[in-house]
Amino acid sequence: MTHMNRRTLLGGLLATASVPALAACGGGITSLEGEGNSLAGGGSSKDGVTIGTANFTENQILGYLYAAVLEAAGVKATVRPGLGTREILIPALKGGDIDLLPEYQGALLHYLDPKATVTEEGEMQNALAVALPKGLQILPYGMAEDSDAFAVTRETAKRYKLRSLADLAKHNGKLVIGAAPEVKKRTVGAVGLKDVYGVEFEEFKSLDSSGPLVKGALRKGDVDVANLFTTDTDIKAEGWVVLADPKNLVPGQHVVPLIADRKADSTVRRALAKLGAALTTEQLTELNRQVDKDKKDPEDVARTWAEQHGLAKRSS
Amino acid sequence: MYELLVDLGGWLTGPEQWSGSDGIGVRLLEHLQYSALATVVAAAIALPIGLLIGHTGRGAFLAINLSSFGRALPTVGLVVLVFLASGLSMTPVYVALVALAVPAIVTNTYAGMAAVDRDVKDAARGQGMRWHQVLFQVELPLALPLIMTGLRLALIQVVATATIAAYVSFGGLGRYVFDGLAQRDLVQVLGGAVLVAVLAVALDLLLAGAQRLLFRHRAPATA
Repeated sequence: MTHMNRRTLLGGLLATASVPALAACGGGITSLEGEGNSLAGGGSSKDGVTIGTANFTENQILGYLYAAVLEAAGVKATVRPGLGTREILIPALKGGDIDLLPEYQGALLHYLDPKATVTEEGEMQNALAVALPKGLQILPYGMAEDSDAFAVTRETAKRYKLRSLADLAKHNGKLVIGAAPEVKKRTVGAVGLKDVYGVEFEEFKSLDSSGPLVKGALRKGDVDVANLFTTDTDIKAEGWVVLADPKNLVPGQHVVPLIADRKADSTVRRALAKLGAALTTEQLTELNRQVDKDKKDPEDVARTWAEQHGLAKRSS
Repeated sequence: MYELLVDLGGWLTGPEQWSGSDGIGVRLLEHLQYSALATVVAAAIALPIGLLIGHTGRGAFLAINLSSFGRALPTVGLVVLVFLASGLSMTPVYVALVALAVPAIVTNTYAGMAAVDRDVKDAARGQGMRWHQVLFQVELPLALPLIMTGLRLALIQVVATATIAAYVSFGGLGRYVFDGLAQRDLVQVLGGAVLVAVLAVALDLLLAGAQRLLFRHRAPATA
């Protein structure tokens, strides 16, 4: 499963986490300043950009999407797919083996600063800018998001009138939640649902991370609420209802480009910003489905999407 | 390493670990319950088969190969497969555990029966014993040591594997292993593993003791 890999990425190692305090001057407050951010001004993408990706489907698709929009902007882009986890990718980025990496806000922040508590997108963007090591910066985050979600079947939503996580509290002690074992003791899980929304479940069933067990249990009604990932293709296919999170319990996991200062020029920023503004969670989910279920090539899938949305030149 | 062992000792001996609905006491009982039920069901299936093919000497090839199929199946895969078909219950776990236990019992029972001296069986028949008398009064007592070995082997495998009940949200000592892995709590993982190992060895010793008692009682009759 693609998402399990993202989970392991979350397992931030302490090695890099101790660096950011010293390197806080590296990024500046990034997202809104755009091209005006001259701190990173020395960057140039003239010699081309090497994009690294982690070893799961969605991240590779994102890498090829980055490549497609950069090529369209006249930047030579090379993708090195499936390099591994953050423990490999971040050092490779610092060392110059790769220049650009599709990242996720919350997961990256947790990796850089495990004690970080902010969950709102803008706050996280700022916290990331502070936490990043010298020489690296993040660009504006995209619309697409791959985060934790709590979902119910359409029937359950109707029967209990569930639209947001807050509605769950009206049925305390009646509903059963299924999720990976770690979710029982995690803030983004049973603990946070109780503290933030006052939700108490009848039972917590330890299953897997958006995998066959938890989805099978939700489908058969063995659990009422399931912890899934927003880009899980089955959510749409099964018509499951993702409960809204008005109090921002779940940290945003918007896709955000992580780039080395040396390559971050205005051409790259503009091209990636355009992509970020165009690609939605739903579309990213569909691209995942094409690769995982239809067994299509991630590069083809990414290129075709970019062409259809006017972000890449049609290949002859 | 030393620190880890100290933490492990603390975890295993902490009174708060042993009490409550998710304490070691309850988990231990759950684990025993899963293991016992699975082994009893497996024995109920495997013993008649083993005795029958051992007594008749027919169908051994087929029965042993079929039952060994259960041993070759990846247990977790079997659990997921049955889970997807039947839903969230203990059924998938029991199916997998029984499939694991049956081969050991069938093969050992058959081996025990096959090892009974042909002359002894002939002599029994020559004295006018009926087939069931030969089976239960001659062959079974002589085959009993190997049959018991099969049962003990099956029980140890089942106790060690019953940890997968936790994989599909149920209890037992596997809870500590799976939760510990998910929460990156190494002490909890080790604690669970140690408890499973201790339980398996303890049960095996218990059965070995029972076996010895059984034989001391029976010795004059068969010797």
